[in-house]
Amino acid sequence: MQRRELLKGMGALGLGSMLINSPFQAMATPTQNLVVNYKDLFNRALAENPDLIGFANVEQNFAPQALTIEGSIPSDLNGTFYRNGPGKHERAEQRYQHLFEGDGMLQSFHIENAKIHHQGKFINTPKFQQEQQAQRFLYSAPDTKLNAPLPVSSADMINTANTNVIPVGDDLWALWEGGSATRVNSQTLDYQQQIVLGEQSKYGTSLKGLPFSAHPKIAANGDIWNFGLNPSGHIVLYHLSANGQVKNVKIVDAKYRGGMLHDFLITDKHLLLILPSLTTSRSTSNNQQGFFSRIGFDKTLPMRVLVVSKSDLTMTKQYELPAGFAFHYGNAWEERDGTIHFDASLYPSIDVLHNLSNVMQGKMSAANVDAQMAMFTLKPNGSASHSLLAINSEFPRICDYLVGSRNQYVYHLSSSNNSLWSDSVCSLNVDSGKQDKYDFGKDFLVEEHISVCPKNKEGTGYLIGTALHVPSKRTCLNIFKVENIADGPIARAWLSHHLPLGFHGNFNAA
Amino acid sequence: MNSTTLLFATITSLLLTTTTYAGEVEFNIDGVNDDSSKLYVQIFKGEENYQNGNAESATITKAKNGKASISFKNLDKGDYALRFFHDQNNNGKLETNLFGMPVEGYGFSNNAKPNFGPVSYQQIKFSVSDDVSKVVNESTVIY
Repeated sequence: MQRRELLKGMGALGLGSMLINSPFQAMATPTQNLVVNYKDLFNRALAENPDLIGFANVEQNFAPQALTIEGSIPSDLNGTFYRNGPGKHERAEQRYQHLFEGDGMLQSFHIENAKIHHQGKFINTPKFQQEQQAQRFLYSAPDTKLNAPLPVSSADMINTANTNVIPVGDDLWALWEGGSATRVNSQTLDYQQQIVLGEQSKYGTSLKGLPFSAHPKIAANGDIWNFGLNPSGHIVLYHLSANGQVKNVKIVDAKYRGGMLHDFLITDKHLLLILPSLTTSRSTSNNQQGFFSRIGFDKTLPMRVLVVSKSDLTMTKQYELPAGFAFHYGNAWEERDGTIHFDASLYPSIDVLHNLSNVMQGKMSAANVDAQMAMFTLKPNGSASHSLLAINSEFPRICDYLVGSRNQYVYHLSSSNNSLWSDSVCSLNVDSGKQDKYDFGKDFLVEEHISVCPKNKEGTGYLIGTALHVPSKRTCLNIFKVENIADGPIARAWLSHHLPLGFHGNFNAA
Repeated sequence: MNSTTLLFATITSLLLTTTTYAGEVEFNIDGVNDDSSKLYVQIFKGEENYQNGNAESATITKAKNGKASISFKNLDKGDYALRFFHDQNNNGKLETNLFGMPVEGYGFSNNAKPNFGPVSYQQIKFSVSDDVSKVVNESTVIY
């Protein structure tokens, strides 16, 4: 080979590694001995305030157990409810500084013949394996900088797979947002591998290690749509078949510098990339901020919506909305004339992200009380409007089979009194504005509740989700009839212990 | 100058020349994970050449499971840097993903590792001097 060719072949060693590694560049800033001991602070606060129990560290996997049932499990509710969230917040004397940093732990609730069995298992990612063996954290996390950490040459080295879990074929995919999806055995919850999308196709290794967000949208035909953000401002878009085979992949230059993009939406014809009003401050030698703490809100920066055609993954239109931020969206749908409607759990700032750091040191910050249900309309002529409802809203979900189609109901969590976490489950009829709500009361920390709709008929079926009962230090799985949420759960299944507060989950019907 | 003196001077000169221009770098690469492909290795003299991609010399060697050893000879004294990649699919170039990140094995002199960004020249440079005829440098493949 001629030298010129050899040079050409190696060019990526300079530029490429700069591109890929920049998402968490702040993590490489010099380490200082931390004056603040998060572990000590948190555990002292926990002794004073038992509500913090959901953020405590988990030492070990949870062995399978049959749950104690109150009420009766519906006969047409059979399958497994999987949830994911951070569980390993501490090793040795080190406690992570942000709730998003802990290693992922899966919880499965297998529902069969009116009985429910639970098991919980850490996802044995390459990072988890190494750190478990070392009995200490080896890598710095987005906000937590260690003394003398191991170098990180790819995002998947620190992929915690801790945010969501979806069934794909016979497997589970545990999802993070900075790197690959992680394949897990759906029966044993054992780690299998970080997935190289399209490896057996024309894509080869070209998709290896690319970010795959934790909020893919599964269309009614089973197709999986998703995105991944590169801090260069480019967004990779994925169209996969129901079994995870790659149908199409494209990159759009979104020119988005917010550093974090958590969720997106689909209609029957388009993808909606909703870019919040976030900016990322530069890391400097005297700036010891981490990746999350450097993300700021710019109230002068409009939210932008990029409308991307599903047929060829090219951008067709852009809209500007008033400044805002949302982690999560419920659904989008499109009228015949091209008018698009979507809802968001909209925040007026990014304070929520930083409160999720405060809670790790035991500060009782309001985690989600600022989020309001907002309904947006995008007109074909380029105009946009929205209404902000007087409804506190987070973790919005709809009936699975309606994703991308017109929905009448959004199911979500709300916080009536609890300043730390959600305390209510709600149903909103977006046509009539009618709300149906169940308040768990001050003793419960309520997690995402999802729709299970055995008849594929909206307005029927169940909402299922977990809640942590603080006084008894136990978590329960709750089953509501969607028609009568205010009546409370028709069944509740109790563990003998509590689970760490997690993020998202999905149901795999038997 | 008589002939003896001339001969001595010539020999001395040759010896000096040999000492000055016969620097050798032995580069040992550990952790190679197959034996059906090749390693592409470049050596650079000085930071400017490294940043501009102007290699002083380059070589290709057959990959073997475990360790590989490559020598660069007749190097002037000075600061050098090495980089390499493992051409796992035998297409003659370093494969990257769509965002430009290497997806084949690679590495640098001094066993330097990227850490949320590329390695710097300062991390990978080493000296070839008059004092030592052979410099040994070690690295491990990053997969």
